[in-house]
Amino acid sequence: MSEALAAVAVALADDELVIGHRHSEWTGLAPHIEEDVAFSSIAQDEIGHAAALYTLAGAIVGRNPDALALGRDPSEYRNAVLCERPNGDWAYTLARHWLYDTAEDVRLEALARSADDALRALATKMRREERYHLLHAGTWLERVAQGPVEGRTRIAEALARAYRDALALFEPLEREEEAVRAGWLPDASTELRSRFAQRATGQLDRLGLPTDIGAVADEAAEFVASSSGDLLAAGPAPPEPAVASGGGGRRGRHSADFEALWEEMTRTYRVSPGATW
Amino acid sequence: MVTQVRADDRIAARVWEALAHVADPEIPAVSVIDMGMVERVDVAGGRVRVVVLPTFTGCPAVPQIEADVARAAQAVEGVVEARVEMSFDPPWTTDRITPDGRRRLRDFGLAPPEDGVPVLIASIGLPDRARCPFCGSRATRAESMFGPTPCRAVFYCDACRNPFEQFKPV
Repeated sequence: MSEALAAVAVALADDELVIGHRHSEWTGLAPHIEEDVAFSSIAQDEIGHAAALYTLAGAIVGRNPDALALGRDPSEYRNAVLCERPNGDWAYTLARHWLYDTAEDVRLEALARSADDALRALATKMRREERYHLLHAGTWLERVAQGPVEGRTRIAEALARAYRDALALFEPLEREEEAVRAGWLPDASTELRSRFAQRATGQLDRLGLPTDIGAVADEAAEFVASSSGDLLAAGPAPPEPAVASGGGGRRGRHSADFEALWEEMTRTYRVSPGATW
Repeated sequence: MVTQVRADDRIAARVWEALAHVADPEIPAVSVIDMGMVERVDVAGGRVRVVVLPTFTGCPAVPQIEADVARAAQAVEGVVEARVEMSFDPPWTTDRITPDGRRRLRDFGLAPPEDGVPVLIASIGLPDRARCPFCGSRATRAESMFGPTPCRAVFYCDACRNPFEQFKPV
C-alpha cells in the first residue's frame, strides 16, 4: 500500500538527481564565476533533496538510499525527460531551470499538504530552500526579457523548445491514483499541470515573452497509452513518439541522452557498490 | 519512579549543556545549540534521543553533525545509550539562530541573517543591504544568492570594500 508513496518519492527524487547532475555539468564552465557557483550550489541543493527523498522511499521499501539513487538500470528511473535533456546553450539552460523550478514549486506547494507526515515535512523544508532557485531563475528571465533582441529571441525559442517537456513533468506518476486516494499526493498531476501552465504563461505574459507556447502544449494535454505501450498525445495534434513529445519518463521511457548521463552518473557506484568516502 | 524522572531530567540538562560545545563543522565558531538545530532531548531511563534539524537539506556537514552530537550525548554521565534523529519537522529556519549565535557568526566574519526573518515562504530572499560583519556599514549590496556552501550568499561592502558572506535567510 505505502509502496505507492515510495513510488511518488522515487520519481521526484529521480527528477532532482538527474537535473542536479545536469546543473553540475556547468561547474567550471559557466559563462561567469557567479553562475558557476550558482549552478554548482543549485545542483548541490537538488541532489541533497534527492537524497532526502530516496531516504524516505528507502525506509518504506527497505532499500539503501544510495542503491536507489545509483544502483538501478536506466529503465527503472522515473524522472521526466525534461531533466535529462543536455544543457545545450545558456538560453536552454535558463529556460529549463525556470520551467523546472516553477513546476517544482507548484508540486511542493501541494506536497506540503500531504497526509504523510514525513513527506509533508520534507516538502515544506525543500520549498523554503527552492525559493532561491526560483529567484535566481526569475531574475535571469527578467534580465533577458528586458534586454536586447538576440537574447529575447533565444530565450523565447528555448522556452518553446522546453515547454512540452516541462508539461510532461506532470504525466501521472506510477500508482498515482493510490497515492491521491490516501492523501499522500493531495492533488492529481493533471490538476498540478494546469496550475503550472497557468502560472508559467501568466509570468511570461507579464515579462512580455511569447505565451503561445501554451497553445501547442494544450493539445498534448492528455496522454494515452497506445497499443505498443507508448504514451501518445491524444487530441488534434498528430501522435508522436513519447520521448519526442517529452513524455514517457514516468514509465521509465527515456531519451537516448539519458543513457550517456546514466553511464557517467552511476559509474563510480557500479565499479564499487557500497564504497564510502 | 520519581527518582528516575529526576535523574532523567538531570541527564537531559547535562546533554543540553554538552551539545553547547558541539561545533558546526563548517562554521566552528558556533555550536549546534547556537544554530537552533537541536529541537528536543528526551531521556527515559538513561536512554537519550536527540532530535536535530538540518539547516539545509543538502548540507554535506549533516552526517558529521549527527555523529558529533551522538558522541557528545553518549559521553554525558548517566547516559546508557544515545540516539540521534535528523528531522525536517519542524523545518529549520534562520530565526532559530540564537542571539549568541548571531553575535558569534558576526565575529567569525559571516553576516547573520536579519533578526526574525523570514517566516513566510514568499518573503524568503536576500536583504537589499545586509550589515557588513567587518565594519558594520549597511552600504552593501548582494553580489550572488549562491556562495561557497548552500547556506551562504555573497555581498560586497562599499564602505570598507570587502566582500563578505551572509548566512542566507531561509
